[in-house]
Amino acid sequence: MAAALRNVTTYDLKLAAPLALGFVVFFITPLVILLALSFQADPQGSHYGLTQYVNFLGDRFSLGVLGSTLWLGVKVTALTLLLGYPVAWLHQRAPSWAKGTIMLLVLLPLLTSVVVRTFAWVVILGRQGIVNASLAGLGLIDTPLKLLYTESGVVIALAQVQMPLMVLPLITALSRIDPNLADASSVLGSGHWRTFRKVILPLSLPGIVAGCLLTYAAAITAFITQSLIGGGQMLFMPMYIYQQASTLQNWPFAAAISIVFLVAVLVVVSIFNALGRLSRGYTNA
Amino acid sequence: MLLTRRNLMQTALTLGAMHAFPGLTWAQARPLVFATFTGSWEEAHKAVLVPAFRKAAGNADMVLDPMLSVDQIAKVNAAKNNPPIDVMLHDPGPALQAVAQGLVEPYPVDKSAHYKDLIPAAQEPSGPAPFFQVVGLTYNPETVKTPPTSWADLWKPEFKGRVGITNLNSTLGTGFMVELAKMHGGSESNIDPAFKAIEALRPSLAAVAANPGQLATLFQQGQIDISPGNFNAIQILKARGVPVEWVAPKEGAIAFKTTIHIVKNSPNRELAFKLIEAALSPEVQAILMEEPYLIVPTNTKVAMKGEIAKALAKDHADLEKKFVFQDWAKINEQRAAWIERFNREIRV
Repeated sequence: MAAALRNVTTYDLKLAAPLALGFVVFFITPLVILLALSFQADPQGSHYGLTQYVNFLGDRFSLGVLGSTLWLGVKVTALTLLLGYPVAWLHQRAPSWAKGTIMLLVLLPLLTSVVVRTFAWVVILGRQGIVNASLAGLGLIDTPLKLLYTESGVVIALAQVQMPLMVLPLITALSRIDPNLADASSVLGSGHWRTFRKVILPLSLPGIVAGCLLTYAAAITAFITQSLIGGGQMLFMPMYIYQQASTLQNWPFAAAISIVFLVAVLVVVSIFNALGRLSRGYTNA
Repeated sequence: MLLTRRNLMQTALTLGAMHAFPGLTWAQARPLVFATFTGSWEEAHKAVLVPAFRKAAGNADMVLDPMLSVDQIAKVNAAKNNPPIDVMLHDPGPALQAVAQGLVEPYPVDKSAHYKDLIPAAQEPSGPAPFFQVVGLTYNPETVKTPPTSWADLWKPEFKGRVGITNLNSTLGTGFMVELAKMHGGSESNIDPAFKAIEALRPSLAAVAANPGQLATLFQQGQIDISPGNFNAIQILKARGVPVEWVAPKEGAIAFKTTIHIVKNSPNRELAFKLIEAALSPEVQAILMEEPYLIVPTNTKVAMKGEIAKALAKDHADLEKKFVFQDWAKINEQRAAWIERFNREIRV
């Protein structure tokens, strides 16, 4: 009697009900309200239409803000990957006592608040900050460089602040690679560089994609770091939304910007996901 | 009693439950909620205003819930019939918005003991002004040897790359722009000259801060040497040992009324009135005028003393002469357009 046996490989979906309920009440509902709000033609809600979207999409300034925000994410993600990969690689190769230390160093930033980490960068990048003081001390510059309130400052600070999001998936991906593969590759005559390019890098692709996805999403929405390091002149989407919703009380336009931003991010995320699927195919091949 | 694991757990759970469900211990309606501003405002209100209110209201419960003006409006707007806030505190711009959106109960002027003692500019029937904020010039005395005397000094060549301003999201930034417009022949309804002036200021700008609080950080980091600044914010920095000084420019310091309002449909109207009365009373205003708060009093029964008398005005008549008040009803009409224009034009 096969029917009497409980199938232990499937799980009751009811277990997910509390989370699903929370998801519906606290995420789906507000999102629907946001969408409805974005179709109001004016803040009073006297009539509905696509006015807000036309205003945003027909405006080169607004599109510029969206573009620069998405581009900021790309730059931060690239820098984080460049700096984070060696750390993950080091972790993978280190003796076990050092592994714990590296892991602690990677996790340490997560234990302090983003505001504190960002303020540290204000101190580092300032005119009398560590960077300018050391450069001046070495006699390399006469007048302090402007680092704070510049886009490069924002990219550097965001890359550090979001670093754990990149390094942790990379460590996971790298530690799943069988160390024998690298040995086999060198026995077969490959140098270190070729082994890295042909074996390690392809096998760690899922980790790279996951890390990039997390870093990207965190970087473009990082309201605090963007405004503290970027200042009042650099306008990115989170600040644009805040300005419209809070200072100007123009909720419909703010809602429309949020939806446009959400869609743009979803597009980027699906590109990452497609890359991730490709990379899985690559790994299994 | 032995401290066993079991009764420790029990106590912890009970305390936890009381925290999670405050209704267990709180049978009556919610306490009075006063949405003050964050930072030094909250500190001053917690230390002086709350005790004074408790004394006047027979130890009634009250909660300080500090947040920005715009957030107060958003929260009350989201629940007009059962507002989560009883007393709001507003800068002039948001105050007019709140009144226009019908979120404010008119102040019971006839019942008030202190209303008639306020200086005329502070007597607002929609909500009186217990405090002023004053904007003048802030500078670093270590790098700026001759103290500035006029807004026009910001354009001096020696301050090239050393000037800080804020964008128009803040009352300070907007008020400063209006003052610039007035200096160059404009007004609250003609802001063009201010934008031209800022354009000319661009080579001097070291930073455009996202909010006035950031200006403080920028002074601390030596990123800027001179900027428009709020008198109170600078006193706090000074007290922490940062080399900053504040002067009123000869054109007159910009003064903003900070008004206090009873929220419409508040369930605690009586207590809200008592809190506002306490804020208007000469006793509270006299203490708030002293170090470290240095809040400008609006009650004429309070004699100006100390740093305020020295840096701002020796009495209330002097104050009305030296302060510049702006027409925020006119400013609000076009503020959205100005913010938009600032976004577009003042880019680096």
